[in-house]
Amino acid sequence: MVDRREFLVGLGGLTAALLARELGGQQQGNFAPMDQNAYRPVLRPAKPNATPQLTVDARDALEKELKCQCTCVLDVYTCRTTDFTCGVSPAMHRDVLRLVDGGYTAEEIKAAFVETYGEVALTAPVKQGFNWAGYFVPSIVMATGGVVLTMMLRRWTQQAAATAVPAGSGAAPSAVAASDVEMARLQRALRDDGDDD
Amino acid sequence: MILVGELSLWIALLMGLWAVTLSFAGGWLRREDLIVSGERGLFAATGFVVLASLGLWTALLTSDFSLRYVASFTSANLPIVYKFSAFWGGQAGSMLFWCLVLAVYGALATWTNRSKNRALMPWVTGTNALVLLFFVAATAIAANPFERLEWVPPDGRGLNPQLQNPAMAIHPPLLYFGYVATAIPFAFAVGALVTRRLDAEWLGAVRKWSLISWVFLTVGILLGMWWAYVELGWGGYWMWDPVENASLLPWLTGTAFLHSIMIQEKRGMLRKWNVTLVVATFLLSIFGTFITRSGIIASVHSFAQSDIGAWFATFLVLVFAASVWLVSIRLKDLESKAELEAMISREAAFLYNNLVLVGIAFSVLWGTLFPILSEWIRGTKITVGESFFNTVNVPLGLLLLALTGIGPLIAWRRASVANIQRQFAGPAFVGVVAAAALWTLGARELYPLMAWGLGAFVAGTIVQEFYKGVGARMRMHGEHVALALVRLVSRNRRRYGGYIVHAGIVMLFSAFAGMAFKAEHDVTLTDGQVFTTKDPYGREWTFTSEGISAFKALNRDVVAIALRPESEGRSFPVLTSEKRQHFDSRGNPTFQPSTEVGILSLGRQDVYLVLAGTIGDRAEVRINFTPLVMWVWNGGILMALGGLIVMWPQSERKRQGGYVTELAPQHAEAAGV
Repeated sequence: MVDRREFLVGLGGLTAALLARELGGQQQGNFAPMDQNAYRPVLRPAKPNATPQLTVDARDALEKELKCQCTCVLDVYTCRTTDFTCGVSPAMHRDVLRLVDGGYTAEEIKAAFVETYGEVALTAPVKQGFNWAGYFVPSIVMATGGVVLTMMLRRWTQQAAATAVPAGSGAAPSAVAASDVEMARLQRALRDDGDDD
Repeated sequence: MILVGELSLWIALLMGLWAVTLSFAGGWLRREDLIVSGERGLFAATGFVVLASLGLWTALLTSDFSLRYVASFTSANLPIVYKFSAFWGGQAGSMLFWCLVLAVYGALATWTNRSKNRALMPWVTGTNALVLLFFVAATAIAANPFERLEWVPPDGRGLNPQLQNPAMAIHPPLLYFGYVATAIPFAFAVGALVTRRLDAEWLGAVRKWSLISWVFLTVGILLGMWWAYVELGWGGYWMWDPVENASLLPWLTGTAFLHSIMIQEKRGMLRKWNVTLVVATFLLSIFGTFITRSGIIASVHSFAQSDIGAWFATFLVLVFAASVWLVSIRLKDLESKAELEAMISREAAFLYNNLVLVGIAFSVLWGTLFPILSEWIRGTKITVGESFFNTVNVPLGLLLLALTGIGPLIAWRRASVANIQRQFAGPAFVGVVAAAALWTLGARELYPLMAWGLGAFVAGTIVQEFYKGVGARMRMHGEHVALALVRLVSRNRRRYGGYIVHAGIVMLFSAFAGMAFKAEHDVTLTDGQVFTTKDPYGREWTFTSEGISAFKALNRDVVAIALRPESEGRSFPVLTSEKRQHFDSRGNPTFQPSTEVGILSLGRQDVYLVLAGTIGDRAEVRINFTPLVMWVWNGGILMALGGLIVMWPQSERKRQGGYVTELAPQHAEAAGV
């Protein structure tokens, strides 16, 4: 015999299941769901007479260079010590621990992760080949912009110098072509701290 | 009301179409009756969008789960404030919210210009209506919040717990206010280009709207940072997520525009550049929306991949193409007399400032899109994370910080050696002393040291400007220091409001530098156990566990840890961190468990506690010391305050700077104007 409480709990569960199916296509707020199936084991046999090559700090630093694969943009260290509901970063952390215990260096461990997940396992592009474009294009654009801007400014200053009134050719360059009324306004403005940027 | 709302959305679509057609026709044929009808069409479209929005709010607040949107983002036991904010919690609702803000802005722009800028207005109204038409069509057809379910569930799925945060209730709308406001300057730019009225006439209206956009984007971005810091539990406030980057891009180009517009106002130069910045800022706003909504780039903030991405991609391409065409056919009209008296002048400093701002925007855009490029070109997925962005942007940021101090103090037109010595000797001395003092105290990392040294330099320039200004008023008008300060700012809002914004920037950069000294500790504690450590300043801290507690709250089960922090004989309030499991009105768990962090905010640093989990009476916790976090929020408040002061209307009678500098720059410089 099912009592009222059990019935309501069962009904609630059924409703939740139906609702989840019905709303399956609807995303959750502006949060992409974490892909908890993204984990793939990174296994390597331990080296003979293996001793850990990394201190705890060095291991944590290494994990900061490995990206958690659960759709978040965090590194393994931050993700596993932050959200705590992600199953991917703790699993990746366990792989790191096994590899450290197996005597692998930081570079070897990174290479093992890249072999399994591809370059997306790293938090920054490897500095080689096409990836150099990632690092250098902004600098090249900035440098080019700087050169172009400086050349433009030089040209503008030369133009200004060319059109300036030559000395001794008439009125002094600093003379102000203003009426008495305008001069009075100017004096008032200077007294009152004019608005300027 | 819900049915009215649903119908209103479709009527708004028709009204938008009417407004576009009549406004453009009126502008083309120069017929006032058509222009007025187009404006009325926009007002009507606004009214119907408001009705549609009221319909959705009604459905959310009355928990009408027959609507897919309401069932997806709310539940019966959701606190009412989050039912209200669920309006922008999902794709379809936030699209309608865009429409609402855009319609109200468009109507305001038309209303406030009913007796001025009349030659531009048909094109401005038409362009605003066209953008609105796109958003209403995309909402009605591709992401309709009024879509109904085939059956009515007794309860909804609820709102993601991480969105159940006061900051998240107001951060998205503020960002939308900022994003959407970029459409108005764009519309004015279109109007100016079409009518060839490219002098200073359109800049007045554009500047106000650009400032509105800038202030809202600033506050929105900072609230997002605050939300990430208190809610996501990773101990930081900026992770260079693509969606975060998307909000930064229009802010950067908008900031560049607010500086370069001054050169056009004062010297009539940079017409092409300013139009380009206005168009780029609008395009980047749309681009940000595209990134967030298309799912093209992985981000924790993005909406799921959907068809609406195609709508935005198409719109982006069309607006880009139309803008390029319009600017290209008006290149001759955009020519301006470009003359510069000297390389060392405020104009040149502002132009270099523009270069750096746009350079940072480019590098952020490049880094955000580089994974896509890599996949297209090499077929290889890569990640571009925090280390990449910091490598590229930190030096540029430091350069920008230096220019923040240099630009405002160099004289317009030509700076003399005497001017430079007089203006910079003091602040430069302050900067050098600050950097040397920090070096002596043990700060050895180059970038933070540079950031603090330059920050002290910029702070020195700002203090010097206020000191000189207040001193001058006290001498000339015999005013008390407080009155002199108030009058100085109120009569020179643009100048001194700008300095206040710069002071906020200094605080932000100082806080960013503080992140380099963040210390993290992972600890396991049982009831009564004590953990002892040192903070980045070398002070000893003890944390005593007050034990684990478990309790039920409004819509969640909670497990909490409490720690009593003490440092050098001083006790601080108990820090608590929680693991929460939310449930619906029948007690069924919803979503994954979430974490609430405990934060002790002190001026010099934050102590940040995160409960990782519990096993029996043992709690796994993480304790972070993060220097100067408080400066981020205070700096943000200063920036917003400065922005509001700059934005605040000032009567023409009191605005004298242009007159002064135009007539006698040498006098103005001598007076320190």
